[in-house]
Amino acid sequence: MSKILYQSIQKEFGDRASSSPMERELYSRDLGPVPALLVDPLFHTMPDLIVRPRTTEEVANLMRCCSAEGIPITPRAGATTVFFNAVPVKGGIVMDLNGFSGVVDLNEADMTVTVKAATTWSDLEAYLNPRGLACKSMPSSAPSATVGGWLCMMGCGIGSLKYGSLLYQVRTIEVVLPDGKVQRISRKTNPSIEWFEDSEGTLGIITEVELEVRMLTTMKHFLLHLSDNRKGVQIINKLIGAKVRPYNMHFSDQYFVQGLKNLGISDLSIDAGGLLIIDYEGSAEELVEAGKFVQQLVKENTSVTLFPESEAEMEWEERFKSIRIKRGGPAVLGGEMWLPVNSIPAYLEDIGKMAKAFGMNLISYAHIVSPKRATAMTMFFAEETKTLQYIINLSLLKKIQDVGYRHGGYPYGIGLWNTPYLRRIYTSSQLRDIREHKKKLDIRGIMNPGKVYRSPFMLNALNFYLGMEAFALIRRIFGKRW
Amino acid sequence: MSNQPYKTLEQEALICARCGYCRNVCPVYKVVGWESASPRGKLSLARQIFALNDQEKLTDEFIHRMSQCTLCAACSQACSTDIDLRCLYMDLRERVADMGKAPKGYKALWANLEANRNITTFNNKDRLDWAQDVDDPEQLEAREGAEVCYFVGCVSSFFPQASEVALSVSEILTKAKIDFTTLGGDEWCCGFPLLASGRADEARTFMQHNVERIKALGIHTVIASCPSCHHVWKHSAAEFLDGYKLEIHHTSEYIARLIKESRLSLGEMQARITYHDPCDLGRNGGVFQPPRDIIQAIPGVEFIELAHNRMQSLCCGGGGNLQTVDADLASAITAMRLEEIRETGADIVVSACQQCEQMLKAAIRKTGLSVRVMDLSQLILEALG
Repeated sequence: MSKILYQSIQKEFGDRASSSPMERELYSRDLGPVPALLVDPLFHTMPDLIVRPRTTEEVANLMRCCSAEGIPITPRAGATTVFFNAVPVKGGIVMDLNGFSGVVDLNEADMTVTVKAATTWSDLEAYLNPRGLACKSMPSSAPSATVGGWLCMMGCGIGSLKYGSLLYQVRTIEVVLPDGKVQRISRKTNPSIEWFEDSEGTLGIITEVELEVRMLTTMKHFLLHLSDNRKGVQIINKLIGAKVRPYNMHFSDQYFVQGLKNLGISDLSIDAGGLLIIDYEGSAEELVEAGKFVQQLVKENTSVTLFPESEAEMEWEERFKSIRIKRGGPAVLGGEMWLPVNSIPAYLEDIGKMAKAFGMNLISYAHIVSPKRATAMTMFFAEETKTLQYIINLSLLKKIQDVGYRHGGYPYGIGLWNTPYLRRIYTSSQLRDIREHKKKLDIRGIMNPGKVYRSPFMLNALNFYLGMEAFALIRRIFGKRW
Repeated sequence: MSNQPYKTLEQEALICARCGYCRNVCPVYKVVGWESASPRGKLSLARQIFALNDQEKLTDEFIHRMSQCTLCAACSQACSTDIDLRCLYMDLRERVADMGKAPKGYKALWANLEANRNITTFNNKDRLDWAQDVDDPEQLEAREGAEVCYFVGCVSSFFPQASEVALSVSEILTKAKIDFTTLGGDEWCCGFPLLASGRADEARTFMQHNVERIKALGIHTVIASCPSCHHVWKHSAAEFLDGYKLEIHHTSEYIARLIKESRLSLGEMQARITYHDPCDLGRNGGVFQPPRDIIQAIPGVEFIELAHNRMQSLCCGGGGNLQTVDADLASAITAMRLEEIRETGADIVVSACQQCEQMLKAAIRKTGLSVRVMDLSQLILEALG
């Protein structure tokens, strides 16, 4: 970055620009606890400058200046992902967008709300609920995840089973493109909203989102023990196909449930299968209908047990805290993927075999986000302070992804660390399309470079697979007592 | 509050998932805006320094950030991994103090406490100066066998504005015909300012002294009008009781009981009143209902809740020794709370903490907002007529 640009940004933003080493270090990581030993020799994650713009105009001016000099810009708000999606890998400027928070407009007649892009989902829900309204869906990290951030990370989570991914709820977005142009984008414009759905901040900076809301309705929660996973998936499919579709369904395997109990976090205990939390929202009639359906399922299936309603309500209350399990770590490593709902039992069986082969405990849960797909997470505890063992353990994340891949799964989110799996995530034509979008909008490649579209040399598929397999072999031979 | 036991600074720092749930509720982060001011950021740096032994990161900048915290514990409440961050911050401040790197503001506080046994520069013998206006000041001198001891606290004892709280409590107890006393010049600081600035061992000396005085007087009920004093008595001083039976109440709890037992009768008052939960009394102390019961028991009062209340209450900015290290930041936090108070349209904002009231009064003076700030005890006294 030229000295002139650096100084002019410092001057314009005053105490909203920082080059403090302490500050820059904090913006050089996300939730993923990847050791510096692995990161620092390969990537330039330390930004040169962090800037906190407050207006679209400020973002546009910065984009114009950076575009002219080819300075990388990494947008960041909640930074609740783990694949360095909001972490620079080529230095440059990190744009902290958290100042873009709050409701811009509520159109109750049209049932839409327009928010600044870094409004958190919890804040939006807190705004809507007293007005008798609610978000149609939200991420399981709603207290810190932002509307704009979730939109460009596929937006599937709580409520998606009933209302679809966030993409289908968004009417328009305001985006600052890399050349500094501000554009209101809808499904009919070119570029369209679809371009941004999985763009992870690589096409521009979303500053405003107009999205649909729903009426706030009463909810009803059920908690089932599915003692047999193969029969359990049939139950899940019946629930999905019922007249009243659940708002949300979340499955935790027995090891996850046991883990929470061992930590004193939950009283629930099961010795096989898993727990299925089913949440309904809707009219009183729909809730009665749903209740009857669940009761009938339980009656007809001896492998299913219904827990008291109070337990189900407790699970709903704790829906944003799946990560509580981390107290058993202190570090936890996990692989998250899209997985066909029907593959969940076979996937879990193979995960069980993997756990046995590596002499470790693997714990899993799956969030049913569409009639056909779940986002599945499989985790294990690790010790971050034992760096070498920890790095070798990272290879098991690939083994988890491999198990998922055998059952039709592929990684959720790309960022930096999932670029080796690009060919699993996209078909060739899809990959060609997104690369064309990138080329069209960001010809100088300043937006969040080094992510999504291509893997860097050390992470190309061959290097990555060979390296990870070698580590996994070491782990298998020497790591059983780690 | 967290329902998980606090392990060690190192372990808890490693447990942190960096999810950022804490960030959105942190009043300091809301004002400062930088990641390093968020609980997640501070914990991330503490992890580097203490769990991963990167001592180079223990910079003055980090120490300043560490001290920018009101210990309101909104972060603990939000934490996805149940980390007791309030406890962790005190632990962190203790580590830094032990290394001789505490902020200057803390050192001045320690000097006062060492010299005077209170947070001010006043002689501790003058603790009962606030009582000059009561009918019989001498009756407040420490007295054996009294039914109740009123633990006044440093702020209400020595700061003229806050002494109204002590005077009101004293008058209410007198009207209810309670046989009460104080520790007079033998009352030492409860120890909270020491705990909050990283001097836990010294804090224990103060706690032990106060407990021993209570035992010596044979008193079995202590009430405190300061939420931090109340919190220390309730949660930290218990280790010195050694089986001695002692009931500990905040004045709001005690007076609510007196009203329920019809030992006090509240008269009519036409006012729209809102209530600000002090962090140490509410979120950290679990006392939410008694102050509300009292306000709502006053005939004619229209009670309105603040947008953030009870467990979700916003801090006033006055906690955690923040004023001693960054008074401007503390005031900026108060301004956010004041905005919520303004939105209620209340005539009176009541609290149950002299520090919250001092912060709110100062902010109101600045903005010219037409709202009266009252301590709960002052409101009760006014309603008693």
